[in-house]
Formats: sequence, structure tokens, C-alpha cells
Amino acid sequence: MTVVGISAQRSDAVVKVRGEAIYGVDVALPGALHARLLRSPVAAGQIVGLDLSGARETTGVRAVISAEDAPAHRHGLVINDQPLFASERVLFEGEPIAAVAAETEAAARQAVAEIGLEIEEEAAVVDLESAVTAEARLVHPDWGSFVAVGEDFPRGGNVAGEVLAEPPGVDEAFAAADLVVEDVYRAGRQYQAYLEPKAVVAQYESGRYTVHVSHQYPFNVRDRLAQALGVRSSAIRVVGHHIGGGFGAKLDLGIEPYAALLARATGRPVKMVLDRAEDLLTCPCRENALVRLRSAVSRDGSIVAREIDVLMDAGAYAGDAPLLTSLPLLLAGAVYQVGPTRVRARAVYTNTTPTGAFRGVSGTYLVFALERHIDHIANALGRDRREYRLRILMEDGDRLLNGQELPDASILREAFGRIEEVAPWNALGDAPLRGVGVAAAVWLTNPMAGSAILKLHEDGTLGVVTGATDNGSGAVTMGITQIAAEELGLRPEDVVVSMPDTDVVPYDSGSQGSRTTQIVGRAVREAAVEVRNRLLSAASGLLEADAKDLELVGGKVGVKGVPESQIALAEVATAATFSEGPIVGFGSHVTSTPAHDPSCASGLLFPAFPTPTYHVHLAEVEVDPVTGNVTVLRYVVAQEVGKAINPDGVLGQIQGGVTQGLGYALYEGLHIGDDGKYRQRTLEAYRLPIAPDIPRVEAILLEHPNPEGPYGARGVAEPPVVPVAAAIANAVSDAIGAPIDAIPITPADVLSAIHAKRP
Amino acid sequence: RPPLVVGSGGGDLPVPSDRAGRVSLSLTVNGRLHRLDVEPAETLLRVLRERLHLLGTKEGCVEGECGACTVLIDGRPIDSCLVAALAVEGAAVTTIEGVGNGGLSAIQEAMARTGGVQCGFCTPGFVMTLTALLADVSQPTEEEVRLALAGNICRCTGYSQIVDAALAATAITP
Repeated sequence: MTVVGISAQRSDAVVKVRGEAIYGVDVALPGALHARLLRSPVAAGQIVGLDLSGARETTGVRAVISAEDAPAHRHGLVINDQPLFASERVLFEGEPIAAVAAETEAAARQAVAEIGLEIEEEAAVVDLESAVTAEARLVHPDWGSFVAVGEDFPRGGNVAGEVLAEPPGVDEAFAAADLVVEDVYRAGRQYQAYLEPKAVVAQYESGRYTVHVSHQYPFNVRDRLAQALGVRSSAIRVVGHHIGGGFGAKLDLGIEPYAALLARATGRPVKMVLDRAEDLLTCPCRENALVRLRSAVSRDGSIVAREIDVLMDAGAYAGDAPLLTSLPLLLAGAVYQVGPTRVRARAVYTNTTPTGAFRGVSGTYLVFALERHIDHIANALGRDRREYRLRILMEDGDRLLNGQELPDASILREAFGRIEEVAPWNALGDAPLRGVGVAAAVWLTNPMAGSAILKLHEDGTLGVVTGATDNGSGAVTMGITQIAAEELGLRPEDVVVSMPDTDVVPYDSGSQGSRTTQIVGRAVREAAVEVRNRLLSAASGLLEADAKDLELVGGKVGVKGVPESQIALAEVATAATFSEGPIVGFGSHVTSTPAHDPSCASGLLFPAFPTPTYHVHLAEVEVDPVTGNVTVLRYVVAQEVGKAINPDGVLGQIQGGVTQGLGYALYEGLHIGDDGKYRQRTLEAYRLPIAPDIPRVEAILLEHPNPEGPYGARGVAEPPVVPVAAAIANAVSDAIGAPIDAIPITPADVLSAIHAKRP
Repeated sequence: RPPLVVGSGGGDLPVPSDRAGRVSLSLTVNGRLHRLDVEPAETLLRVLRERLHLLGTKEGCVEGECGACTVLIDGRPIDSCLVAALAVEGAAVTTIEGVGNGGLSAIQEAMARTGGVQCGFCTPGFVMTLTALLADVSQPTEEEVRLALAGNICRCTGYSQIVDAALAATAITP
């Protein structure tokens, strides 16, 4: 291999360092209007007055629309529970009530300010535990009328989705246990805080909508917009541009329907860009959650049974939350051997902004809870925390709680060992107010369908036509590019990957769950077989040699062992194009769902972990006892990557993922008041990690090739965020000698934990 | 009886001030003099993006927090979202389009090579901040680089490869 495995420069690096890359916010169409939304200023209430006349009379306004101008049906990713505009009741702060299109952004803002809105405010449903009691006010009194997109699933009242597992033997094991360890963990909301705010430009022409986006999943925009507008999906064309970060928040439908409706109403292109505050207040953030964990432990340290109960905040509409309730079952019996485990996981409707996907969905706080709990058990047993983990670690062939076998789980033991070589456990955290923490996780590679068309251009370069998007990870601009180049003996710079256009490119499931390099890379390899065969067949005629004696090297086809008998790809491609037709190949791939026991639980919409990867993280921290500040002294990651297609790219994903995890663990928290509103409303108040905060992560790449992945690759980019809060919380607890069971761990939390343990 | 909320749903979002008469402005951007009519409170960022169509300067927050809109004003890195265009009349403004002299500067080259770019939306701002740093300090330490970058947020990279780029660029431009 000459291109796969090298740290090639990403294909969009130069346009990005020169500021030439066009993002969603930069897209401009001739004659475009500017759109703004009237959003609810309160989290819960009855709309008793809505007067749009002032807005309609504002100079420069071309359209003002509200619920009566939009389709009446509800839409959703998993359950159809969301209207485009609130009409009678508002259910979260920021919920759209009306939309305006005007000649200038200032006029659109002015028009929104002219709308007369009267709301009788109601008490907001906020607290998760109260929300699931029988007395709770229902966020959706009409929940029973909602229709699921697929098969219906367990839900009811304020519970938007529920997973239940009741294996035999749990109560008996607890009754007989030598030790029962019980904990409650809390996690806050985390804002994706991509640097490019959400933006869209929509056009309407003769029954079809063209929508320009910077979105991780253009085909989902197509299908969800079609669903929301009540049109067939071929009536929507989605064109993708450079994405200024997404991290999961640009996977589902967002503001696209409002621009589309306004474009139709005005006959003009309509552009909408969110303010940062508006983006923050309405973004589908990582959900806040409450995790209760109990383990029954025998004297020798074995965990003989377990119970986990999780409440996840879905916000006012379900979004993907019913899918995420599968995560507790998939994670509660991963990494360590545990006995039969009772699982209850509920997504809860509240009067808060709907939550959604964020890199490492739900795993960040579930692993935090599971690994804090392991520290608690080890401490209760008087065992060393690392040695105890090695004692109960999964082995090859052990099974998750869904019955799925992990044939290579011993990679976890290897990862612990590799970290020990560079960061010996007993030498770390060994000073006052210093602490060390370790955490491990199993994560998945998203399995969803992807495809690619390869075209050999007449100048001998290769076009890759795909709906895959590069959200910044490099999965397209390094991974796919390098794999395609490798297949045909080209340089990465001789490969051009298309930007997404749903009218043109074959289907792709978007940049989510680290899937792009594995799934689309595999599709590219399949497509390359066809290209290669046609190429060699055409060249064999031109070179008068048997196709099996030909090879592809350095942009040429040559006869093996005869260096003077070579012909440029450009010549072969041109000859083919003007005789039998252009040289094109197609490939597609989807990972099948691993074998598991479907009867293990009810409500399991996401039943297994395809292409598992293995992760161990270690953190050493120092706590300032005066300020409560936590300094991360060392951070070490051992990660199973299958095959690093681009090692620098992998390191960038690990450093970046860990940094998001450090923000989650130490700085970032959206606190929700009793009124259902966020307390942090700007990037000044919502503290993101900056360069002086963050240590250089020491990364150890483990490479056990995935037989199904291209060149052995597995998903890489998502999981580095997953174990971080766990490792940091364990290290801080070790440093101060008191348990930290809530994230983010603010300086005030550290100080109160220190003071609480003083006699 | 529950409280009644009356008024615009703009919430905490800013409402535009009345549009007063425009004023004329002479602005030097990337060495070229522009004569423009702008609104008195118009920010430099707006002028650059909407009047001069220099789209490389990005709008990330308009709060002066993210640094994506960083430009150089007489060589100093400034958030252009916080500066009134009128306030920089007579000053020399440099944007990302003015860096690299048609090719790539040492810092741009290093950012591309070391993996300092992922989604790239923050990248022009980082290039501008580092351009100013390297003009001031020829051989900064890693700590100096990190401190200089404290006003630029990158959500993708975790900063290490950007810091590497700055250190690599100083190695080739003494």
C-alpha cells in the first residue's frame, strides 16, 4: 500500500486555510430574501393572541406565515409529535410561532418585533423525576394520538420511549450478595457549539424545492423535509456545502422547512441564518440525564447482578430520544463481566428545547456513571481500582446484555497494558491534590447504508460521486480520497470527491457514528473492482496484452515486468469513453446487525453494537484547593481503530474528541431553570475549552483489522469523547478523596466536595 | 392566574436600531482603498462580508467570543464583529484574503500540513491570530502560542495540531 496508511494532507486543506471554502452561511442566490422566526419567549403556555398585521405592514416584508399557512400534520424522526409552528400551546422556549421573509435581515428582524403575541404562561415541566410521576402535568396531553414513523414502541404520558429488561435471577443475586453498592449520577446538557451557526437557503420552482445546506445527512433533510411538508421526497433537492462543524446537531431536520415554506410563499429564494444565541437556545443538545446504578457484589469482587435506571431528557419533542433509550442496555454490561442486569431507560418529555444527537450519544454520561460506580465498588472492596478492573474485565467471546458476542473483547486488556507501558498507574497521582483515573468503553460503528460511483475521467483522474459528507473529520477528504487513490494507483490529489446533491449522488446515511470511512470506503472498494476490470479490459486492447498481465501504477497501466509497455490512464479512459462508454463503477455497503437476542428487552429500537471498538482512557489531574480549578496534567488514550487510513487524521479525531469530553467534564453545562429556560445563553456564559486549557493527548493506536472494513478500518472519530468524563471524574475524586457524581465538575462543585468531607 | 407575557417573541434577541442615514467611509483592506457608504453602527465584519464580499472572514457568534471573525487592524488581531467600520477609517485592515500573497504563507502551509484544519470554519481566524503572533515573536514557546490563541475557539481539533502548525511555521520563518 502506498496511499492508505500515510498522513496525506486533506483535500480541502488549502481552500480552508485560504478562507475560500463556501459554507452554508456563505451561500447566496440572486434575489434572495432574508428570513427570521418569531419564537416563543417562554417554555410553556397558551397562545391567546397572535397578531401578524404589524409584521405584514413592515417595509420590505414579503411574507409572514404561521401555523395556518403550514401543513397541519405533525412530523418526527421516530414519532410524529412535532408541528412546524406552535398554534395553541408553546412547549419550549424558542419554539417557532411565525416566520417572516423580507428584503433585508434588518427588515425581517423589525417585522418579527412588530408581531403581537400574547401567551398565558404555565408552569414548565422540567424535573425528570417529577415528570414521570402519576401527578405530573403532561407536556403532550394528546400523546396517545401520535403516530410512530415505524412500528410503535412502549411510551405513554411524559415517557416518550421506554426500554425494559427483566432477566431472571436479579433479586435472588441481590438478596445473596456480600455487598451492594448503590449510586445516583447526574449529567448536564451539552451544546454542540459548532462554529458555523445553522443556515439554509431554499428555492421553489414548479413544485420542487431546492435546499442548500451545510448538513451532515443531506438525504435525511430530503426525506424529513418531504415528510414535514407532505410532499414526495423527489420533490426535494438538497445541495450540500462545506460544513462548519456539526457533531450530531446537523443530522436531523432543523430550520429547512421554514425557508422552504417562505420560498414557496414569495416565489423568491429565502436565506435563514441563526444568531448564535438563537442557535444555542434551540439546538438539539446532548440530553441531561439521571442514572441510578446498583450492583450486587460477592466477596471475591465479582459483580453478580446489577440494576440500572436511566431518565433521559427528550425535551418538548421526542427527536431521536426513543432510539437512545437502547444505549443503557448496550453499555451496562459492556467492558466488565456483570451478572443478570435489570434495565429501565426512559426518555422524558419536558418543557425544554428538544435534545438530540451529539457525538457519543448518551454514552458520555452512561460510561461516566458506570466507571464511577466501578471506582466506588473497588474502593468499597479495598481493592486497587485498576487491578480490580483487570480482574473483572471481559474476555474474548463474552456477551453484551443483548446477547451479542464480542469475539475480540480482550483488546480491552491489551489497551490497559499499553497504557501502563507509558503511564504506570502507581507512579501517577501520587502527590497531595493529584489524582489518577481510568475508564474504558466499548463503542459501535454506525452500520447504515452508503454508496459511491467511481468515474474515471478522461484526463486520468478519478471522480468519486457520493452523498457522504465531510463534517470536518476528514472521513471524505482523507479516508475516502485515500482509499479511492489506493485502489487505482493514483495520488490523493488525483481524486476528486463530489459535494452532495441528492438529485445526483447515490444514497448515503450521513456523517454519523464514525461510519463514513468504513461504509463508504467499502463501497468505494467495490466500485473500484468494476472500474479496474473495465480499465484493464480497455487497456488490454490498446497494449495488446492479456488483462491479467496488467497492473495499475502511478497513473498508468503497464504490462507486469515490461516497463516500456505502459499507457497513461488518460489515454485508456479517453479511448473507452469514445468507444464502449465511460469507465464507471458502482459500490454500496451496509453492515448487518450482529446476532443478538431480541427478547432480551422491550422497546429496544437500536438492538446491537455493529463493528465494536475498544477504548481505555487515563487521566492525571491536579486540583487547586483554593479556586477549585482542575488542571489535566496527562491524558492517555488507547483506542482500537482497525487500521489507521490516515494516522494524523486519527490523532486529530482523538485530540478533538477528548477535548469535547474535557469540556463536558469540566466546563460546559446548560443549566435549566425552574422556568424551563437555559441559564447560559451566550458563548461567554457557556464555557468552551480553549487552547490553554487542553493538554496534548497521548494516543496509542491499536490496529486489529476489521475483516469487513476497507483495509481493516473501523469507526474512529466518534468514540474518543465517550470515556472522558468518566476518567476525569475518577481522577478528580481520587485527588480530593471525595466522590464526584455529577458533571460538569465546576470549581464550585470541587470546593463543596472538599468541604463536605471535612469533619 | 398565570402571568401574561406580551410583546415580541424576539426574547433576548437583539432588535435592530432605526436605520439612520448612511455615512461615507474610506477603508483600506488588504492594501486596497475602498470608498463606501455605511450605516453608522455597521460592524467591520458586516462591511467585509456584505459590502466587499470577502467571505473568508467568518461570523460565528457576534459576541467577540469565538474569534472566527479575527482580522488584523494595523497588524493587531481584532474580532471584526465588535468593531464599528467607522472606527477603523485610516487603519490598514488585513483579512484572510490578504494573507499568503496568492499562495500560502508559512502558517497557512503548516496548518494544512499538520492537521490544524478540520471543519475549517475557525481556520481563517486562527491564521490571522497566528500571523500577528509570528510577526511579533519570531520563536514563540508552546505556552506563548496557546495563550495567544485563547481568543479563538476551535471545536474540532482540540488545538494540538494548530499549536504544532504555529511551532512548525516558526521553524521555517526565522
